[in-house]
Amino acid sequence: MSKADSTLPAERRLSLLVTVLAFALPVVFVLVPLAIFLGYSFFSVDQGTIVYSLSLGNYVRFFTDPVFLPVFWNTIVLCVSVAIICILLAYPAAYFLTTLKGRWRYALLMLLLVPLLMSYVIKIYAIRSILGLNGFLNKALVTLGILQEPSTLFVFNMNAILLTLTLLLIPFAILPIFLSLERIPQVLLRASDDLGASGLQTFLRITLPLSLPGVASAASFVFVLAIGDFLTPQMVGGISGFTFGRILYSQFGTAYNWPFGAALSVALAVVVIAAILIGERFGRNRGISV
Amino acid sequence: MSALPRLSTIFLAAITTLVAVLLYSPLFVPIVSSFFTISHGSVDWSSPTLATYVALAENHDILTALRTTLIVGVCTVILSVVSGTLLALYYHGRRSGRSLLQFIIFLPFLMPPIISGLALLIFFREIGLERSLLTVVIGHTVFVLAIVYRTVLMRLQSMSRTLVDASYDLGATGWQTFWRIILPNLSSAMVGGAILAFALSFDETMITILVTGTQSTLPVRLWAMMRLGFSPDINALVALILMFTVLLCVLAARFLIPRQVATERT
Repeated sequence: MSKADSTLPAERRLSLLVTVLAFALPVVFVLVPLAIFLGYSFFSVDQGTIVYSLSLGNYVRFFTDPVFLPVFWNTIVLCVSVAIICILLAYPAAYFLTTLKGRWRYALLMLLLVPLLMSYVIKIYAIRSILGLNGFLNKALVTLGILQEPSTLFVFNMNAILLTLTLLLIPFAILPIFLSLERIPQVLLRASDDLGASGLQTFLRITLPLSLPGVASAASFVFVLAIGDFLTPQMVGGISGFTFGRILYSQFGTAYNWPFGAALSVALAVVVIAAILIGERFGRNRGISV
Repeated sequence: MSALPRLSTIFLAAITTLVAVLLYSPLFVPIVSSFFTISHGSVDWSSPTLATYVALAENHDILTALRTTLIVGVCTVILSVVSGTLLALYYHGRRSGRSLLQFIIFLPFLMPPIISGLALLIFFREIGLERSLLTVVIGHTVFVLAIVYRTVLMRLQSMSRTLVDASYDLGATGWQTFWRIILPNLSSAMVGGAILAFALSFDETMITILVTGTQSTLPVRLWAMMRLGFSPDINALVALILMFTVLLCVLAARFLIPRQVATERT
């Protein structure tokens, strides 16, 4: 009896502690930093020190300065292109996986996802050496006779960023498309076949529409990951490949304007949230039921 | 899909092969060059060597960074598994406020790392916390928490409520039920979550660059070296990391895929 009496208050104290932690942890380490960050976007910098008085100056500068909006827009276009190329490559591959039987299907899926685990920095470095002037791509193109001599088309510019991001992010497109294709009931395909539809008709009328949610998720994943990346453009972009992420990052380094960087981050966050919401809206499976 | 015409199968297989080649070419280059010398874009196949591995063992810079990464990884795993499990246990079965708190936990994982990283950077500065390995560990934990939380929560949701009820009916206290019933049932999900957390922490680069002090983890060290170009021993490191990550991946799959499914497939 005395044992029960002594454990009960201890248990209650513990559950109180758990309750406090369950609310405090997310609030202190996620919400508070984000709130302070948002607050910073209304401050300004005067001769290297941060002025803690509220103004909309950073946002006005973002919208009026001729530098930022074009880079912002170009970066969005770049990341949309990356998403489109990733999907064009990932869709056929994911479709091919679903035509395979049992063990092969998952083994091949794993094979296509494993590169995700490989060190990100190393991959950028390797891709850069492949794209370089003496790299494998140029060698192959010259050998095949497509190019007369090695080209600088893929080194230190927007093309290089586009190709590198695509190579890095394809697996993120394969997985959601594969999952949505796999979820399509085989009965529907057989019914379509029985009703006399050709393979192409079945694909266009049944498989493709039912897999579009997966495509939407894939596009939103790839876009968000691409637009948030500041290391890849820094490494393969050179001087001409200037993206929004790099400008943002430079505000915390060489340019040393944290409040303006915070305002740029808010702009980035708005685009990212929009992309996530669009992906969420169209990525939901609307009742495939059999 | 058996009625797939031959031509389109060939087309699909060709695209899949292309994708595999594209994905593996960046891994292939460093691994081949860890055993062979490459000069001007062509491989000298005639003389395989392990010299790069020997050089790696003597590269103190890299080994120190590797040790730092492991320390950060282990601390992150401990913190994220403890707090992720705690949060999952607390939120499980509660309606009020759960979706909001869950959304907050997922934010750092959904947001671009540059935003999470910068928010933490400013936060640490405002509370006067000097940038160090501690801030890196906090950054990594905040980042991977969502994954551990989700893994444990999913296991909790699939766990039968009757187990807990039976335990209480048999007279066990809440504490006993937790240690004897709930925790053993969660253990494999926790191990799986821990492996995922470690893998993410091991390769985390963008948040780390923003919140790290003078000590750098392996990806940050590599990032700094990359500007000057890599020495050949880095290739040996790449080959070793690849083997290590594949091993981790196999382990995670073992702990996360339920047994029945696993036996069905083999």
